[in-house]
Amino acid sequence: MVRLVLASPIAVATRGEREIEIEFEGTLRGLFDLVTNRYGKPFQQRIFEGDGALKRFVNVYVNGEDARYLRGLDTPIPRDATVDLLPAIAGG
Amino acid sequence: MGYVRGLRCRACGAEFPAVQLAVCESCFGPLEVTYELSAVRDSFRRADLAERPRDLWRYRELLPVLDESARVDLAVGCTPLRRAADLGEALDVREIWVKDDTVNPTYSFKDRPVAVAVAKAREWDLPAIGCASTGNLAAATAAAAAKAHLPCYVFAPASLEPAKLLVPRIFGATVVPIEGTYDDANRIALLTADRRGWGFVNINLRPYYAEGSKTLLFETWEQLGFELPDVIVVPLGSGLLLTSLEKGFRELRELGEVADPPRLVGTQAAGCAPIVQGFESPDGRPKPVRRPETVAESLAIGDPGSGFEAIQAMRATRGFADAPNDPDILDGVRLLARAEGVFTEPAGGTTVATLRRAREDGRIDRDERVVLLITGSGLKTPAVWRDAFQPLAPVPPNSAAVDAYLGGLHHG
Ligand SMILES: Cc1ncc(COP(=O)(O)O)c(C=O)c1O
Ligand SMILES: [Zn+2]
Repeated sequence: MVRLVLASPIAVATRGEREIEIEFEGTLRGLFDLVTNRYGKPFQQRIFEGDGALKRFVNVYVNGEDARYLRGLDTPIPRDATVDLLPAIAGG
Repeated sequence: MGYVRGLRCRACGAEFPAVQLAVCESCFGPLEVTYELSAVRDSFRRADLAERPRDLWRYRELLPVLDESARVDLAVGCTPLRRAADLGEALDVREIWVKDDTVNPTYSFKDRPVAVAVAKAREWDLPAIGCASTGNLAAATAAAAAKAHLPCYVFAPASLEPAKLLVPRIFGATVVPIEGTYDDANRIALLTADRRGWGFVNINLRPYYAEGSKTLLFETWEQLGFELPDVIVVPLGSGLLLTSLEKGFRELRELGEVADPPRLVGTQAAGCAPIVQGFESPDGRPKPVRRPETVAESLAIGDPGSGFEAIQAMRATRGFADAPNDPDILDGVRLLARAEGVFTEPAGGTTVATLRRAREDGRIDRDERVVLLITGSGLKTPAVWRDAFQPLAPVPPNSAAVDAYLGGLHHG
Protein backbone atom coordinates (compact mmCIF):
# COMPACT_ATOMS: atom_id res chain seq x y z
CA MET A 1 0.00 0.00 0.00
CA VAL A 2 1.16 3.52 -0.80
CA ARG A 3 0.64 5.90 2.13
CA LEU A 4 -0.25 9.45 1.19
CA VAL A 5 0.17 11.87 4.12
CA LEU A 6 -1.17 15.42 3.91
CA ALA A 7 -0.34 18.16 6.43
CA SER A 8 -3.55 19.60 7.81
CA PRO A 9 -3.51 22.85 5.77
CA ILE A 10 -3.22 20.77 2.56
CA ALA A 11 -5.89 18.29 3.60
CA VAL A 12 -8.61 20.69 2.42
CA ALA A 13 -7.85 19.07 -0.94
CA THR A 14 -8.93 15.65 0.36
CA ARG A 15 -11.99 16.69 2.37
CA GLY A 16 -9.93 16.74 5.55
CA GLU A 17 -8.42 13.27 5.19
CA ARG A 18 -4.80 13.39 6.29
CA GLU A 19 -3.70 9.81 5.71
CA ILE A 20 -4.80 7.83 2.71
CA GLU A 21 -3.81 4.29 1.80
CA ILE A 22 -3.88 3.38 -1.86
CA GLU A 23 -3.09 0.21 -3.77
CA PHE A 24 -0.69 1.65 -6.36
CA GLU A 25 2.59 1.29 -8.17
CA GLY A 26 3.81 3.65 -10.92
CA THR A 27 4.86 7.27 -11.11
CA LEU A 28 4.01 10.25 -8.94
CA ARG A 29 1.91 11.63 -11.78
CA GLY A 30 -0.03 8.38 -11.97
CA LEU A 31 -0.60 8.43 -8.22
CA PHE A 32 -1.97 11.98 -8.37
CA ASP A 33 -4.27 10.99 -11.26
CA LEU A 34 -5.68 8.24 -9.07
CA VAL A 35 -6.16 10.60 -6.13
CA THR A 36 -7.81 13.13 -8.42
CA ASN A 37 -10.26 10.45 -9.52
CA ARG A 38 -11.12 9.83 -5.91
CA TYR A 39 -11.31 13.42 -4.64
CA GLY A 40 -12.28 15.19 -7.82
CA LYS A 41 -11.49 18.65 -9.13
CA PRO A 42 -10.85 20.28 -5.74
CA PHE A 43 -7.75 18.10 -5.31
CA GLN A 44 -6.47 18.94 -8.75
CA GLN A 45 -7.12 22.67 -8.41
CA ARG A 46 -5.46 22.97 -5.03
CA ILE A 47 -2.36 20.94 -5.81
CA PHE A 48 -1.68 21.81 -9.45
CA GLU A 49 -1.29 24.92 -11.55
CA GLY A 50 -3.33 25.23 -14.72
CA ASP A 51 -0.35 23.97 -16.75
CA GLY A 52 -0.11 20.76 -14.75
CA ALA A 53 2.92 21.71 -12.66
CA LEU A 54 2.81 21.34 -8.90
CA LYS A 55 1.80 24.48 -7.03
CA ARG A 56 4.67 26.56 -5.75
CA PHE A 57 3.66 26.26 -2.11
CA VAL A 58 3.18 22.49 -2.07
CA ASN A 59 6.21 20.31 -1.41
CA VAL A 60 6.04 16.63 -2.27
CA TYR A 61 8.31 14.06 -0.64
CA VAL A 62 8.71 10.46 -1.72
CA ASN A 63 10.07 8.35 1.12
CA GLY A 64 11.42 11.52 2.68
CA GLU A 65 13.14 12.87 -0.44
CA ASP A 66 11.94 16.08 -2.05
CA ALA A 67 10.47 15.06 -5.41
CA ARG A 68 12.28 18.00 -7.03
CA TYR A 69 15.57 16.26 -6.28
CA LEU A 70 14.22 13.01 -7.76
CA ARG A 71 12.40 13.03 -11.07
CA GLY A 72 9.55 15.36 -10.25
CA LEU A 73 6.22 14.01 -11.38
CA ASP A 74 8.03 11.16 -13.15
CA THR A 75 9.48 9.88 -9.87
CA PRO A 76 8.80 6.15 -9.52
CA ILE A 77 6.46 5.23 -6.67
CA PRO A 78 7.04 1.70 -5.33
CA ARG A 79 4.04 -0.12 -3.86
CA ASP A 80 5.05 0.54 -0.23
CA ALA A 81 6.07 4.20 -0.65
CA THR A 82 5.16 7.05 1.69
CA VAL A 83 4.32 10.28 -0.09
CA ASP A 84 4.05 13.48 1.98
CA LEU A 85 2.30 16.64 0.78
CA LEU A 86 3.41 19.53 2.93
CA PRO A 87 3.15 23.31 2.75
CA ALA A 88 6.44 24.92 1.74
CA ILE A 89 7.43 26.49 5.04
CA ALA A 90 11.03 25.74 5.74
CA GLY A 91 13.38 27.37 8.07
CA GLY A 92 13.56 30.15 10.21
CA MET B 1 -5.95 45.82 23.51
CA GLY B 2 -4.68 45.19 20.06
CA TYR B 3 -4.25 46.86 16.74
CA VAL B 4 -4.21 43.69 14.70
CA ARG B 5 -6.53 43.61 11.72
CA GLY B 6 -5.89 40.08 10.52
CA LEU B 7 -3.75 37.90 8.29
CA ARG B 8 -3.17 38.48 4.60
CA CYS B 9 -1.71 36.09 2.04
CA ARG B 10 1.40 37.52 0.43
CA ALA B 11 0.77 35.51 -2.72
CA CYS B 12 -2.96 35.83 -3.50
CA GLY B 13 -4.06 38.61 -1.16
CA ALA B 14 -6.75 36.54 0.60
CA GLU B 15 -7.56 37.87 4.07
CA PHE B 16 -8.25 35.90 7.23
CA PRO B 17 -8.89 36.70 10.87
CA ALA B 18 -5.84 36.57 13.14
CA VAL B 19 -6.27 32.95 14.18
CA GLN B 20 -3.85 30.04 14.35
CA LEU B 21 -3.25 29.59 10.65
CA ALA B 22 0.12 28.56 9.21
CA VAL B 23 -0.47 29.26 5.52
CA CYS B 24 -3.15 30.69 3.24
CA GLU B 25 -6.21 28.45 3.14
CA SER B 26 -6.76 28.97 -0.54
CA CYS B 27 -3.27 28.90 -2.12
CA PHE B 28 -1.05 27.70 0.81
CA GLY B 29 1.06 30.84 0.39
CA PRO B 30 2.75 32.70 3.26
CA LEU B 31 0.63 34.88 5.52
CA GLU B 32 1.51 38.18 7.11
CA VAL B 33 -0.11 40.04 9.98
CA THR B 34 -1.86 43.31 9.14
CA TYR B 35 -2.62 46.16 11.54
CA GLU B 36 -5.12 48.99 11.85
CA LEU B 37 -2.41 51.50 11.10
CA SER B 38 -4.62 54.55 11.48
CA ALA B 39 -5.24 53.49 15.08
CA VAL B 40 -1.55 52.68 15.61
CA ARG B 41 -0.64 56.19 14.45
CA ASP B 42 -2.43 57.74 17.43
CA SER B 43 -0.35 56.02 20.07
CA PHE B 44 2.93 55.13 18.32
CA ARG B 45 4.65 58.49 18.91
CA ARG B 46 8.35 59.20 18.90
CA ALA B 47 8.21 61.16 22.14
CA ASP B 48 6.36 58.36 23.95
CA LEU B 49 8.68 55.64 22.69
CA ALA B 50 11.55 57.05 24.74
CA GLU B 51 9.65 56.37 27.97
CA ARG B 52 8.84 52.79 27.21
CA PRO B 53 10.41 49.62 28.65
CA ARG B 54 13.73 48.69 27.14
CA ASP B 55 12.72 45.51 25.35
CA LEU B 56 10.97 44.60 22.13
CA TRP B 57 7.51 45.21 23.59
CA ARG B 58 8.15 48.92 23.33
CA TYR B 59 6.77 48.50 19.79
CA ARG B 60 3.68 46.72 21.09
CA GLU B 61 1.23 48.39 18.69
CA LEU B 62 3.00 46.64 15.82
CA LEU B 63 3.30 43.24 17.48
CA PRO B 64 0.40 40.79 17.27
CA VAL B 65 0.07 39.90 20.95
CA LEU B 66 -3.32 40.75 22.40
CA ASP B 67 -2.98 39.46 25.95
CA GLU B 68 -0.12 41.16 27.79
CA SER B 69 -0.05 38.43 30.42
CA ALA B 70 0.85 35.91 27.72
CA ARG B 71 4.26 37.51 27.23
CA VAL B 72 7.33 35.77 28.54
CA ASP B 73 9.61 38.36 30.05
CA LEU B 74 13.22 37.59 29.18
CA ALA B 75 14.14 41.20 28.32
CA VAL B 76 14.63 40.56 24.63
CA GLY B 77 15.82 43.29 22.28
CA CYS B 78 17.04 46.85 22.74
CA THR B 79 20.49 45.59 21.93
CA PRO B 80 23.38 48.01 21.28
CA LEU B 81 23.87 49.74 17.97
CA ARG B 82 27.62 50.21 18.00
CA ARG B 83 29.44 52.80 15.93
CA ALA B 84 32.15 50.74 14.23
CA ALA B 85 34.73 53.36 13.31
CA ASP B 86 37.69 51.00 13.11
CA LEU B 87 35.81 48.54 10.96
CA GLY B 88 34.83 51.49 8.78
CA GLU B 89 38.47 52.38 8.36
CA ALA B 90 39.41 48.82 7.52
CA LEU B 91 36.70 48.51 4.89
CA ASP B 92 36.80 52.09 3.62
CA VAL B 93 33.26 52.97 4.62
CA ARG B 94 32.55 56.33 6.22
CA GLU B 95 29.89 55.13 8.62
CA ILE B 96 29.29 51.57 9.78
CA TRP B 97 27.05 50.58 12.65
CA VAL B 98 26.96 47.13 14.18
CA LYS B 99 23.57 46.05 15.44
CA ASP B 100 24.77 43.67 18.11
CA ASP B 101 22.22 40.93 18.72
CA THR B 102 24.84 38.64 20.24
CA VAL B 103 23.74 40.05 23.61
CA ASN B 104 20.16 38.82 23.53
CA PRO B 105 19.14 36.38 26.32
CA THR B 106 20.22 33.32 24.33
CA TYR B 107 22.84 35.13 22.27
CA SER B 108 21.05 35.49 18.95
CA PHE B 109 18.29 37.53 17.31
CA LYS B 110 16.03 34.47 17.44
CA ASP B 111 14.86 35.55 20.90
CA ARG B 112 12.84 38.23 19.11
CA PRO B 113 10.59 36.09 16.89
CA VAL B 114 10.31 33.48 19.63
CA ALA B 115 9.04 36.07 22.12
CA VAL B 116 6.06 36.75 19.88
CA ALA B 117 5.41 33.13 18.87
CA VAL B 118 5.49 31.86 22.45
CA ALA B 119 3.10 34.60 23.58
CA LYS B 120 0.69 33.40 20.87
CA ALA B 121 1.10 29.79 21.95
CA ARG B 122 0.12 30.86 25.47
CA GLU B 123 -2.82 32.93 24.25
CA TRP B 124 -4.06 29.87 22.41
CA ASP B 125 -3.26 27.52 25.28
CA LEU B 126 -1.19 25.14 23.16
CA PRO B 127 0.05 22.10 25.10
CA ALA B 128 3.66 22.26 23.91
CA ILE B 129 5.95 24.28 21.69
CA GLY B 130 8.98 23.52 19.57
CA CYS B 131 10.89 24.33 16.44
CA ALA B 132 13.05 23.03 13.65
CA SER B 133 16.39 24.69 14.13
CA THR B 134 19.84 25.24 12.70
CA GLY B 135 20.93 25.92 16.28
CA ASN B 136 20.06 29.38 17.51
CA LEU B 137 16.33 28.98 17.33
CA ALA B 138 16.62 25.87 19.49
CA ALA B 139 18.14 27.81 22.37
CA ALA B 140 15.70 30.70 22.04
CA THR B 141 12.64 28.46 21.95
CA ALA B 142 13.87 26.30 24.81
CA ALA B 143 14.58 29.28 27.06
CA ALA B 144 11.20 30.87 26.42
CA ALA B 145 9.49 27.51 26.94
CA ALA B 146 11.26 27.08 30.26
CA LYS B 147 10.05 30.47 31.46
CA ALA B 148 6.55 29.75 30.14
CA HIS B 149 6.49 26.29 31.80
CA LEU B 150 5.72 24.64 28.47
CA PRO B 151 7.22 21.39 27.21
CA CYS B 152 9.56 22.06 24.29
CA TYR B 153 10.66 19.84 21.39
CA VAL B 154 13.59 20.81 19.23
CA PHE B 155 14.27 19.16 15.87
CA ALA B 156 17.77 19.75 14.53
CA PRO B 157 20.35 18.00 12.37
CA ALA B 158 22.27 15.52 14.55
CA SER B 159 25.48 16.82 12.97
CA LEU B 160 25.08 20.32 14.44
CA GLU B 161 27.78 21.92 16.61
CA PRO B 162 27.69 20.11 19.99
CA ALA B 163 27.11 23.36 21.90
CA LYS B 164 24.02 24.08 19.87
CA LEU B 165 22.54 20.68 20.73
CA LEU B 166 23.51 21.01 24.40
CA VAL B 167 22.06 24.42 25.25
CA PRO B 168 18.38 23.59 24.64
CA ARG B 169 18.74 20.51 26.84
CA ILE B 170 20.01 22.63 29.70
CA PHE B 171 16.80 24.64 29.42
CA GLY B 172 14.89 21.35 29.74
CA ALA B 173 13.87 20.87 26.13
CA THR B 174 13.74 17.50 24.40
CA VAL B 175 16.16 17.52 21.49
CA VAL B 176 15.30 15.25 18.57
CA PRO B 177 18.59 14.88 16.65
CA ILE B 178 17.62 14.09 13.08
CA GLU B 179 19.87 12.08 10.85
CA GLY B 180 20.16 14.33 7.79
CA THR B 181 20.07 17.98 6.81
CA TYR B 182 18.15 20.89 8.27
CA ASP B 183 15.54 20.38 5.58
CA ASP B 184 15.01 16.79 6.74
CA ALA B 185 14.59 18.04 10.32
CA ASN B 186 12.14 20.69 9.17
CA ARG B 187 10.01 18.22 7.23
CA ILE B 188 9.67 15.79 10.09
CA ALA B 189 9.10 18.61 12.61
CA LEU B 190 6.25 19.86 10.47
CA LEU B 191 4.64 16.42 10.38
CA THR B 192 5.12 15.91 14.12
CA ALA B 193 3.71 19.29 15.16
CA ASP B 194 0.77 18.72 12.85
CA ARG B 195 -0.03 15.27 14.22
CA ARG B 196 0.34 16.24 17.86
CA GLY B 197 -1.20 19.71 17.89
CA TRP B 198 1.96 21.40 19.09
CA GLY B 199 2.92 24.98 18.30
CA PHE B 200 6.16 25.03 16.36
CA VAL B 201 7.32 28.61 16.32
CA ASN B 202 8.80 28.75 12.82
CA ILE B 203 6.28 26.36 11.28
CA ASN B 204 2.66 26.63 12.33
CA LEU B 205 3.13 29.88 14.30
CA ARG B 206 5.21 31.37 11.51
CA PRO B 207 3.12 34.44 10.59
CA TYR B 208 3.30 35.63 14.21
CA TYR B 209 6.89 34.50 14.76
CA ALA B 210 7.96 36.60 11.75
CA GLU B 211 6.74 39.76 13.42
CA GLY B 212 9.31 39.69 16.19
CA SER B 213 12.27 40.08 13.83
CA LYS B 214 11.17 43.43 12.43
CA THR B 215 11.90 45.01 15.83
CA LEU B 216 15.53 44.96 14.66
CA LEU B 217 14.54 47.54 12.08
CA PHE B 218 12.49 49.60 14.53
CA GLU B 219 15.34 49.68 17.03
CA THR B 220 17.88 50.65 14.40
CA TRP B 221 15.59 53.47 13.28
CA GLU B 222 15.12 54.70 16.83
CA GLN B 223 18.81 54.37 17.74
CA LEU B 224 19.84 56.38 14.68
CA GLY B 225 17.65 59.23 15.91
CA PHE B 226 14.58 58.08 13.98
CA GLU B 227 16.41 57.66 10.72
CA LEU B 228 16.97 54.57 8.65
CA PRO B 229 20.44 53.79 7.29
CA ASP B 230 21.17 53.64 3.55
CA VAL B 231 22.07 49.95 3.62
CA ILE B 232 21.35 47.04 5.97
CA VAL B 233 23.35 43.84 5.46
CA VAL B 234 21.33 40.83 6.58
CA PRO B 235 22.30 37.15 6.86
CA LEU B 236 19.86 34.86 5.04
CA GLY B 237 18.80 31.39 6.13
CA SER B 238 15.15 30.90 5.25
CA GLY B 239 14.98 34.57 4.23
CA LEU B 240 12.37 35.36 6.85
CA LEU B 241 14.47 37.87 8.78
CA LEU B 242 15.07 40.01 5.70
CA THR B 243 11.42 39.67 4.67
CA SER B 244 10.35 40.86 8.12
CA LEU B 245 12.65 43.88 8.02
CA GLU B 246 11.05 44.95 4.76
CA LYS B 247 7.61 44.58 6.33
CA GLY B 248 8.73 46.72 9.27
CA PHE B 249 9.87 49.37 6.83
CA ARG B 250 6.51 49.35 5.03
CA GLU B 251 4.72 49.83 8.35
CA LEU B 252 6.90 52.78 9.35
CA ARG B 253 6.31 54.30 5.93
CA GLU B 254 2.55 53.88 6.18
CA LEU B 255 2.69 55.52 9.60
CA GLY B 256 4.40 58.48 7.93
CA GLU B 257 7.61 57.98 9.91
CA VAL B 258 10.01 57.27 7.05
CA ALA B 259 10.08 57.77 3.30
CA ASP B 260 12.72 55.69 1.52
CA PRO B 261 13.66 52.10 2.30
CA PRO B 262 17.17 51.10 3.28
CA ARG B 263 18.78 48.95 0.58
CA LEU B 264 18.40 45.44 1.92
CA VAL B 265 21.49 43.37 1.14
CA GLY B 266 21.16 39.66 1.81
CA THR B 267 24.10 37.36 2.34
CA GLN B 268 24.62 33.64 2.68
CA ALA B 269 27.56 31.28 2.42
CA ALA B 270 28.66 30.18 -1.05
CA GLY B 271 28.26 26.58 0.14
CA CYS B 272 24.52 27.08 0.61
CA ALA B 273 23.23 30.01 -1.42
CA PRO B 274 19.78 29.12 -2.78
CA ILE B 275 18.46 32.66 -2.26
CA VAL B 276 21.48 34.39 -3.79
CA GLN B 277 21.25 32.13 -6.84
CA GLY B 278 17.55 32.87 -7.07
CA PHE B 279 18.21 36.61 -6.83
CA GLU B 280 20.55 36.32 -9.78
CA SER B 281 18.17 34.29 -11.90
CA PRO B 282 15.44 35.87 -14.06
CA ASP B 283 12.56 34.06 -12.37
CA GLY B 284 13.59 35.23 -8.91
CA ARG B 285 12.92 31.83 -7.36
CA PRO B 286 15.34 30.28 -4.87
CA LYS B 287 17.43 27.43 -6.26
CA PRO B 288 17.26 24.64 -3.64
CA VAL B 289 20.52 23.09 -2.41
CA ARG B 290 20.34 19.47 -1.46
CA ARG B 291 23.56 19.14 0.54
CA PRO B 292 24.67 22.41 2.15
CA GLU B 293 28.40 22.61 2.84
CA THR B 294 29.54 25.58 4.94
CA VAL B 295 30.86 26.69 8.34
CA ALA B 296 27.85 29.01 8.54
CA GLU B 297 25.60 26.23 9.81
CA SER B 298 22.94 28.56 11.13
CA LEU B 299 22.31 29.76 7.57
CA ALA B 300 22.44 26.31 5.97
CA ILE B 301 18.84 25.98 4.83
CA GLY B 302 18.73 24.32 1.42
CA ASP B 303 15.07 24.97 0.68
CA PRO B 304 14.38 28.42 2.13
CA GLY B 305 10.70 28.91 2.89
CA SER B 306 10.81 32.71 2.60
CA GLY B 307 13.41 32.89 -0.15
CA PHE B 308 11.08 34.21 -2.83
CA GLU B 309 9.79 36.96 -0.54
CA ALA B 310 13.34 37.88 0.46
CA ILE B 311 14.37 38.16 -3.19
CA GLN B 312 11.41 40.43 -3.88
CA ALA B 313 12.32 42.58 -0.88
CA MET B 314 15.95 42.93 -2.01
CA ARG B 315 14.84 43.88 -5.49
CA ALA B 316 12.19 46.31 -4.28
CA THR B 317 14.69 48.15 -2.08
CA ARG B 318 17.46 48.21 -4.75
CA GLY B 319 19.60 45.96 -2.61
CA PHE B 320 21.45 42.88 -3.78
CA ALA B 321 22.46 39.38 -2.70
CA ASP B 322 25.95 38.02 -2.17
CA ALA B 323 27.57 34.72 -1.21
CA PRO B 324 31.11 34.86 0.23
CA ASN B 325 33.05 31.64 0.72
CA ASP B 326 33.96 30.09 4.07
CA PRO B 327 37.50 31.54 4.37
CA ASP B 328 36.11 35.03 3.68
CA ILE B 329 33.39 34.46 6.26
CA LEU B 330 35.89 33.45 8.95
CA ASP B 331 38.09 36.42 8.03
CA GLY B 332 35.00 38.55 8.53
CA VAL B 333 34.47 37.13 12.02
CA ARG B 334 38.09 37.81 12.92
CA LEU B 335 38.03 41.32 11.50
CA LEU B 336 34.93 42.27 13.48
CA ALA B 337 36.40 40.79 16.66
CA ARG B 338 39.72 42.57 16.26
CA ALA B 339 38.38 45.91 15.05
CA GLU B 340 35.36 46.24 17.30
CA GLY B 341 35.61 43.67 20.10
CA VAL B 342 32.44 41.88 19.00
CA PHE B 343 32.63 38.11 18.62
CA THR B 344 30.08 36.74 16.20
CA GLU B 345 29.34 33.35 14.79
CA PRO B 346 29.88 32.79 11.04
CA ALA B 347 26.48 34.30 10.19
CA GLY B 348 27.82 37.67 11.33
CA GLY B 349 31.11 37.11 9.54
CA THR B 350 29.08 36.64 6.39
CA THR B 351 27.77 40.21 6.63
CA VAL B 352 31.28 41.61 7.17
CA ALA B 353 32.59 39.59 4.21
CA THR B 354 29.81 40.84 1.98
CA LEU B 355 30.45 44.45 2.94
CA ARG B 356 34.12 44.00 2.12
CA ARG B 357 33.32 42.44 -1.25
CA ALA B 358 30.76 45.10 -2.04
CA ARG B 359 33.29 47.85 -1.33
CA GLU B 360 35.77 46.15 -3.63
CA ASP B 361 33.38 46.01 -6.56
CA GLY B 362 31.54 49.22 -5.71
CA ARG B 363 28.12 47.79 -5.01
CA ILE B 364 28.19 49.72 -1.73
CA ASP B 365 29.49 53.25 -1.78
CA ARG B 366 31.95 54.68 0.71
CA ASP B 367 29.46 57.39 1.69
CA GLU B 368 26.54 55.11 2.36
CA ARG B 369 25.56 54.67 5.99
CA VAL B 370 25.72 50.94 6.57
CA VAL B 371 24.25 48.79 9.34
CA LEU B 372 25.50 45.23 9.75
CA LEU B 373 23.12 42.87 11.52
CA ILE B 374 25.25 40.74 13.81
CA THR B 375 22.67 38.13 14.63
CA GLY B 376 24.46 35.54 16.76
CA SER B 377 27.35 35.06 19.18
CA GLY B 378 30.61 33.36 18.34
CA LEU B 379 30.69 31.48 21.62
CA LYS B 380 28.25 28.90 20.29
CA THR B 381 30.48 27.95 17.37
CA PRO B 382 34.01 27.36 18.70
CA ALA B 383 34.48 24.31 16.48
CA VAL B 384 34.81 26.40 13.32
CA TRP B 385 38.20 27.59 14.63
CA ARG B 386 39.70 24.15 15.11
CA ASP B 387 42.03 24.45 12.13
CA ALA B 388 42.87 28.12 12.51
CA PHE B 389 44.08 27.99 16.11
CA GLN B 390 46.41 25.17 17.14
CA PRO B 391 46.02 23.73 20.66
CA LEU B 392 48.11 25.61 23.25
CA ALA B 393 51.07 23.82 24.84
CA PRO B 394 51.42 24.60 28.57
CA VAL B 395 54.22 27.01 29.57
CA PRO B 396 56.09 26.49 32.89
CA PRO B 397 55.34 29.32 35.35
CA ASN B 398 58.75 31.03 35.31
CA SER B 399 60.08 34.09 33.54
CA ALA B 400 62.62 32.26 31.41
CA ALA B 401 59.97 29.94 30.01
CA VAL B 402 57.59 32.83 29.39
CA ASP B 403 60.34 34.82 27.68
CA ALA B 404 61.15 31.83 25.52
CA TYR B 405 57.48 31.42 24.70
CA LEU B 406 57.03 35.08 23.80
CA GLY B 407 60.27 35.25 21.85
CA GLY B 408 62.12 37.79 23.91
CA LEU B 409 61.20 41.21 25.30
CA HIS B 410 58.86 43.29 23.27
CA HIS B 411 59.66 46.99 22.90
CA GLY B 412 57.01 49.70 22.62
C1 LIG C 1 22.52 33.80 13.63
C2 LIG C 1 21.51 33.74 12.53
N1 LIG C 1 21.47 34.75 11.65
C3 LIG C 1 20.59 34.75 10.63
C4 LIG C 1 19.70 33.71 10.43
C5 LIG C 1 18.79 33.74 9.24
O1 LIG C 1 17.45 33.96 9.56
P1 LIG C 1 16.32 33.56 8.54
O2 LIG C 1 16.19 32.07 8.58
O3 LIG C 1 15.11 34.26 9.09
O4 LIG C 1 16.70 34.05 7.19
C6 LIG C 1 19.71 32.64 11.31
C7 LIG C 1 18.75 31.54 11.09
O5 LIG C 1 18.70 30.51 11.60
C8 LIG C 1 20.62 32.66 12.41
O6 LIG C 1 20.67 31.66 13.30
ZN1 LIG D 1 -3.13 32.79 -0.84
